[in-house]
Amino acid sequence: MKADLIFINGSVYTVDAARSWASSVAVADGKVIAVGTDTQTDSLKGPSTRTVDLRGRMMMPGIIDVHNHHTRGGQADLYETNISPTLSFEQVLAVVRKRASEIAPDEWISGGIWGSNIVSNLYKKAARDALDTASPDNPVMLRDDSQHSRWVNSRALKFMGVGSETPDPEDGEIVRDPDNGEATGLLLERASTLAETALAKTVKDAAGRNMSSTRRAVQILNSFGVTGYQDANTMLPYLQALSALDAKGELTAWCVASLPAHQPLMGTDVFGDELIARREEFRSRHVRPDFVKIFMDGVPTTKTASMIEPYTPDQLYGCCFRGEALVSIPELARWIAKCEEHGLSTKIHCAGDGAVRDTLDAIDVVRSFNGPGRMHQIAHAGFIDPADIPRFKSLDVIADLSPIIWYPSPIIEAIQAAIPEKRSSRYWPNRDLLEAGVLMAAGSDWPVVSNPDPWLGIEGMVTRRNPKGGFPGALWPEQALDLADVIEIYTRNAARATGLDVLTGTIEAGKSADLIIIDRNLFEIQSDELADARVLSTYFEGNLVFERD
Amino acid sequence: MMTNRHSIPVTVLTGFLGSGKTTVLNRLLSDSRLSDTAVIINEFGEIGLDHLLVTHSTENLIVLNNGCLCCTVRGDLVQTLCELEMKVSSGEIPPFRRVVIETTGLADPAPILHTLMADPAVTPRWHLEGVIATVDAVNGAHTLVAHEEALKQAAVADRILLTKSDIASADELTAVRYQLRGIAPGTPIIETIDGTVDPAAILAVGLYDAAGKIADVRHWLLREQQNDGRNIAHHHNHAGHGKAADHPHDVNRHDDRIRAHCIIVEEPVSWTSFSYWLELLAAMRGEQMLRVKGIVAVSDHPEQPLVIHGVQHVFHPPVKLEKWPSADRRTRVVFITRDLQIEELEHTLRKFGKADRVSALAVP
Repeated sequence: MKADLIFINGSVYTVDAARSWASSVAVADGKVIAVGTDTQTDSLKGPSTRTVDLRGRMMMPGIIDVHNHHTRGGQADLYETNISPTLSFEQVLAVVRKRASEIAPDEWISGGIWGSNIVSNLYKKAARDALDTASPDNPVMLRDDSQHSRWVNSRALKFMGVGSETPDPEDGEIVRDPDNGEATGLLLERASTLAETALAKTVKDAAGRNMSSTRRAVQILNSFGVTGYQDANTMLPYLQALSALDAKGELTAWCVASLPAHQPLMGTDVFGDELIARREEFRSRHVRPDFVKIFMDGVPTTKTASMIEPYTPDQLYGCCFRGEALVSIPELARWIAKCEEHGLSTKIHCAGDGAVRDTLDAIDVVRSFNGPGRMHQIAHAGFIDPADIPRFKSLDVIADLSPIIWYPSPIIEAIQAAIPEKRSSRYWPNRDLLEAGVLMAAGSDWPVVSNPDPWLGIEGMVTRRNPKGGFPGALWPEQALDLADVIEIYTRNAARATGLDVLTGTIEAGKSADLIIIDRNLFEIQSDELADARVLSTYFEGNLVFERD
Repeated sequence: MMTNRHSIPVTVLTGFLGSGKTTVLNRLLSDSRLSDTAVIINEFGEIGLDHLLVTHSTENLIVLNNGCLCCTVRGDLVQTLCELEMKVSSGEIPPFRRVVIETTGLADPAPILHTLMADPAVTPRWHLEGVIATVDAVNGAHTLVAHEEALKQAAVADRILLTKSDIASADELTAVRYQLRGIAPGTPIIETIDGTVDPAAILAVGLYDAAGKIADVRHWLLREQQNDGRNIAHHHNHAGHGKAADHPHDVNRHDDRIRAHCIIVEEPVSWTSFSYWLELLAAMRGEQMLRVKGIVAVSDHPEQPLVIHGVQHVFHPPVKLEKWPSADRRTRVVFITRDLQIEELEHTLRKFGKADRVSALAVP
């Protein structure tokens, strides 16, 4: 067999079991057929073989992002008002004011993401008044950096049919001003659905828009070197868009889908058993509906994460509030068992250490009743009680890490305001997880972060500092990891965590030719330069899908 | 949560199509001891009331000449019970002291039992008194094999009325009794002729009789095991059932799948842990547990045992007894299960119920 494509003269980091380096990679039919020295691959050269001289540049396997919301990322890029989470309350209002001046009345202003640091402004009616002043005639819905909360104005409340008298939905809160009982415009958890549903109603050709968003999302991912990803909450319309895009041959990444077990905040009628029953409709070469997403809690910034120890006392929740789990242990165990029966793994959102413990307990129940089963992921595994760390390994549970969210940043400041220092400073015990032999993988959680740039996460996991600066200090620096471990977390481990490991994740003969070329050798630079790395070319199944100008 | 003893007892009468349930109900309704009963009939029920003089009727509610109320379930059971209650309050209908619900012959009774055991709209004012299943002695052995619903009806029963026993052959009787022993071990079987049955024998069978005593605990705890559980294993060899031992397995396929297990714990248990284990069982194995009944010695008040009962994944709130019904103070729980291994019960009880000294017995 002759190669279609041979890369030579490179520094090829294969991320195979031996972490070996090579200089050449030969590709045929979208797969790697040989890895070695230039001489070794030379015999695979035929008359139609194209040779690419890497000129010493570093090549590695394509990155796998185990946690993003790609359709919404693409949608935010194409259709929404961009707000940076570092903006102040006043700056957010300024962005809204400008947007409102540009569009027709009653057209929605939707977007994000505002930083959790401004949430304290939003517990008073004055917050809604301020947003009304910025946009009196256009409904506004802004998502926060956790994506669990929305901030809306009066016009939006009117479109939603929500007033100060409207009762809170189950598992959600229409936050009211304690002084006068008026809705402040802040919507927590499931109350967000009310706004999302009202907005969705105004979108014409939602299917076309979802396809464009998906296409755009994959372009963005490819530009950062991402060739595989797990969508963390794949609703029916997103599955339809993925499936349609793959049928047209336009999906240039592996996509593992996570079907929502419960009604998602974004609002959709098909979820849980009904969606699980339909999953095979959407399976294709690159679309793999192999996971179910379950939420065990909310987020620490709004004190909706389930914690073992109480939050910092405040007026609203008093002295001893720990948040609470959304799903009981028996109920979760039942879900996990059901998923295993269907051949599905689960991705379980656990922002608090209480939720992590409950989830491990539930998996223990499943293992005790049913014996060994599939691997499951605990998503955002940042707060973990030390006693629970070894249980990840013994119960075959994967830690899905969200490194881009946690180095010193506005979100961390908000978490530190909510959780006593003793606990909040011991966040993301990555080194402990590594030493306990836990399989770790990492995701961006885009659009919780404004883009799915994995290089920020790679640097952050090595330095425990904010790669962009502006937020000094290091978070629990003892938990820093070595670069080689971090690269594994983003490639080989991520492939295992998503079930893509037979296909991709390393540069080895037989694997998909998902290859990226980087502008610098990561092992030859300072750790605080890792986030500056730029992907020059991305190959997916041997095809060039991104090339930097 | 404990059951309110002033709540109204509800008896569920179930039984497969043609098993004589209607005849039994008609006989019961003509008994003066039941004159203050409201009867709720599932809309697919086939009761023939023609021979009972109807004295008054509003919508679907009729008052029979013996004073009983009779209505059909429109909407759901909860709604029907609430309507009955409202009509009593408004004086539209006379008060009643008990309710009998007749299920349709083809129904799995579990959903009705779940409503009565655990629906918060029902449990404060009504309680499940007991479940009576009619089984046809002539066709029963076949029906129990051929129809899942019939099997579930018998498995959840507190009393089984073996109807048409006067016209069944000795072989048929033996076969059906043999079947029932596997599906509902320990459940008293009452032979009836022409639907005649003493109301006292079937209407005070549940956990909560008027005096708050537990009349029935001993029945379902399988007397034989109270001193030596191993006797159960020899159950099928008991004298008098010699014929059954030879019974061909092809008509008795449920034997392979339906099993009664008994779990015994020597020491009082922590109710927190034990009830967590029950909750896990309900979540993980609810479909496989046709019925669970038991008495539990809890460490907080070992002299007042808790009585538990559940149907599939739903458990009735536990009932605290004033004292133990016998000298045996051990926790004993009987599980009527399908495709459930006893080892699973045992090791999960040790692990999650935090119980030591557990023994498990299979009841064939």
